[in-house]
Amino acid sequence: MSWGSRGVRVTMAVLLALAVSACGKKEVEAPPVPEAPVFSVLATTDLRDAQALEGMVEKATGVKLRFTYGGTMESTEAVLSGSTQAHAAWFANAKYLLSDPYGQSRVKLQEKIMLSPITVGVSATTAKRLGWDDPAVAAKVSWKEITKAASEGKLNYALSNPATSNQGFMALMGVVAAASNKAEALSAADVDRGAIAGFLKGYKLAGDNSTYLSEKFIEQQGTQPGQVNSFINYESWLLSLNNGGKLREKLVLVYPHEGVSTADYPFMLLKDDRRDDYLKVSTYLKTPEAQTWIARQTLRRPINGEVAASVGDLFPKEGMRVELPFSPDRQLADGLIDAYLNEFRRPIASTFVLDTSGSMEGQGRRQQLVQALHYVAGADSTLTGRLAKLTNREKVWMLPFSDQPWRMTYFELPAGHPQARGVQVQEDSQAKQAVLAEVRTYADGLRMTGGTALYDSVLVALQHMLEQKAKNPNYQYSVVAFTDGENTKGRGLQQFQQAYAALPEDVRGIPVFMVLFGEAKEADLKALVATTGGKVFDARKTPLYAVFKDIRAYQ
Amino acid sequence: MSKTGKVFLTLALLAGFGAALFFALRGQKVAVAELAIASATELTGVVSLDVEPFFKDERVRKILAENRLPVNVTRLGSREMAAKVVPGQMPDFLFPSGVVAGNQISDAARKAGISVVQSSPFHTPLVIASWTPIANILVANGMAKPLGERIYGVDMAQLTAAMLAKKRWKDLKGSQAYDVGRSVLVSTTDVRRSNSAAMYLALTSYAVNGDVVTDRATAVPLATKLAELFKRQGYQENYVNGNFDDYVAIGIGKTPMSFIYEYQLVSYALEKKGVGADMVLLYPQPTIVNKFVLITASERAKALADLLVRNADLQRIAVSYGLRVADTGLFMQAVKPTGLAVEERITQVIDPPSFELMAEMIEVVAKEMAQ
Repeated sequence: MSWGSRGVRVTMAVLLALAVSACGKKEVEAPPVPEAPVFSVLATTDLRDAQALEGMVEKATGVKLRFTYGGTMESTEAVLSGSTQAHAAWFANAKYLLSDPYGQSRVKLQEKIMLSPITVGVSATTAKRLGWDDPAVAAKVSWKEITKAASEGKLNYALSNPATSNQGFMALMGVVAAASNKAEALSAADVDRGAIAGFLKGYKLAGDNSTYLSEKFIEQQGTQPGQVNSFINYESWLLSLNNGGKLREKLVLVYPHEGVSTADYPFMLLKDDRRDDYLKVSTYLKTPEAQTWIARQTLRRPINGEVAASVGDLFPKEGMRVELPFSPDRQLADGLIDAYLNEFRRPIASTFVLDTSGSMEGQGRRQQLVQALHYVAGADSTLTGRLAKLTNREKVWMLPFSDQPWRMTYFELPAGHPQARGVQVQEDSQAKQAVLAEVRTYADGLRMTGGTALYDSVLVALQHMLEQKAKNPNYQYSVVAFTDGENTKGRGLQQFQQAYAALPEDVRGIPVFMVLFGEAKEADLKALVATTGGKVFDARKTPLYAVFKDIRAYQ
Repeated sequence: MSKTGKVFLTLALLAGFGAALFFALRGQKVAVAELAIASATELTGVVSLDVEPFFKDERVRKILAENRLPVNVTRLGSREMAAKVVPGQMPDFLFPSGVVAGNQISDAARKAGISVVQSSPFHTPLVIASWTPIANILVANGMAKPLGERIYGVDMAQLTAAMLAKKRWKDLKGSQAYDVGRSVLVSTTDVRRSNSAAMYLALTSYAVNGDVVTDRATAVPLATKLAELFKRQGYQENYVNGNFDDYVAIGIGKTPMSFIYEYQLVSYALEKKGVGADMVLLYPQPTIVNKFVLITASERAKALADLLVRNADLQRIAVSYGLRVADTGLFMQAVKPTGLAVEERITQVIDPPSFELMAEMIEVVAKEMAQ
């Protein structure tokens, strides 16, 4: 082949890429070479920064690798239940999966590709204040000191949802291990509830993936009391932030003494009939070429020792990282997640803005809305179900609207009765079951008629949340709107934006989530959430579980 | 086609004819031999993961072909091999890892009325891959002693007692270099699916019992007690190289002591032409030497067994995979340039308990771990 023809191909590829990015999503999904079968890999969301490997793998091996992403916990469940169609999986941490005998049988082959320890990135000023800028001191900082600083308001951190992500969950495990004073394998009975509560006092910035959290952290990083000054995440993401030049202050990386949990990224074959493709890909990922790329571009430590030695200057020399033993105890994991959601996390208060306009009667939209409310007030006790469901202490105001906002109905979920020591999954109390049943009955009684005063209603909901927040600041406030269509009554988008700007500053902390049914005018709704913060979910394309899991993560 | 291309093609054709003429003139002898090699029927073999790379090695394939003993091997877990002993469908040979699996297969063959012969061309001792600071702490506490430069012998009775007493590293004398709150424990793979972990159970049972366990009455309570050495490790990698991968990739912070086959670290050292400065081998005293047991069920397979011990090239190739052969000098010579210190003569060797007892002890441990 001549250089000329290759040059043309490269140019074509660039033009194609430009054309594709200009036309939006649809073209990206159209397979350019239909006959090459896709080798699909279910990856944890923190691997989004390694997406370029798709092209590199295809070029080097001919295997058409494609990633789909999910949080660690839901991806684990997808493999365990067999609901995923992916040929392979690539998780930051597969120990949840592989400590289950059923999970072991799903995984045909496995190979660790790279490493990244979970670390605490502390803004330089805060680190200095805590004395952690001194490497000798930092080397001895354990989850105990971190918990203490968080409970005293000195450490305000960003962290991925402990109920859905490996980083979040392992941080809690670090706290539990340090507080229990046990040398090894913890059980549910060892959980010191006070330590968790103390640690979570510092949890100021929540989200369910590292991309979102990194953006928000760049926006919100500060050193004043109450501002977010630290970020608990994989070393790779924190090093990338430090190198990215967008932070107000660089982060000092603290590796908790005796409490480091290292993601080891096993690449796992799930479908035996794609063994050949799997072997090609895993072999390639361990070549010096791919390992060097991983180290330089994603700042994860290569598993290949020689490459690791050659790129050693990219990583801090933090001395010995003593690993936190991973407890395979499912009761501990389930109990901790359950306790986090129902007891430890900042409780949720939200106003559900329900579109009851006449158009909701058509095409089963009313049915979808009722179904959504049944789902959050349901009895699904799987991990995913528990994540979406209304939790103990949660407050919900239902605000139906059509031509105008109507009367609100209030529901409050009772608190549980936690035991003094340890954690375990709590059955729903009778009182809780009764409230959930009331929510379902309420949903069944919704009648659809009239126009759509969407913006007016969202505004009323925001004002209501502001009043509640002033009375009780210890809740996490948000507005969740369910609608099928464009605004036909009351304020328009611009008028809404003006009215929003006039609201007190505190409203900025109250996001608006839009759940769409039917033919909603998506652009306007996106403009609304761009103003208020929040997110638009298309319930026609996204399963309800995914919608609520996301909403929960940002609440 | 370009002009240059045409010239090349012409030259290539001429070279081809020339070579054909040359070989034709060399006589017919070579051709006959080659034909015979090609026509020799492949021996079928079922082998463990440990020796699979050896049989897939091109050099080995060539030597076996030259000796009219080409093989076609498939990999299988050693403990699953006994199920392959079926009259009429028996492979020419089975090559499990360890005498426990070997005896299980021979036993199955005897019951099935199939005559087999056992031999053991390769072996490797079970060792603890560790780090100089850890070895020094063990020495300071009377649990190990230097056997030579950067080689240590571990008193298994002492070490097992310390582990069962739930000692933490920072409780030990002179532990400044590793003053962590973690328990003193050896990392293993999952005993429910891995032979090396089963051998660890055998060694620790000897250490507590003071002798090889030979009866159920001793085995069951002992295994119940020893289960904690596995359970307290927390999550264990459940593939065969898991704890070794952690040892080399993550290091002392995760894996201060890793129970492995010697060949794992030796082949790593041979491949990488060296090991990390702090990496050292601890030889349990006593230890178990894991024999790779070749079980042959046909005359030609017996010829293969002979060739494996007789042919110096095959022996050298086996050594290049970190395996020991009858001639220890060959092994020592190969390892020396890597800088990894290995013990030349393995003394104090014991046998694991019988496979029935081993199976029962593993079951007890598995049950305890599931709780």
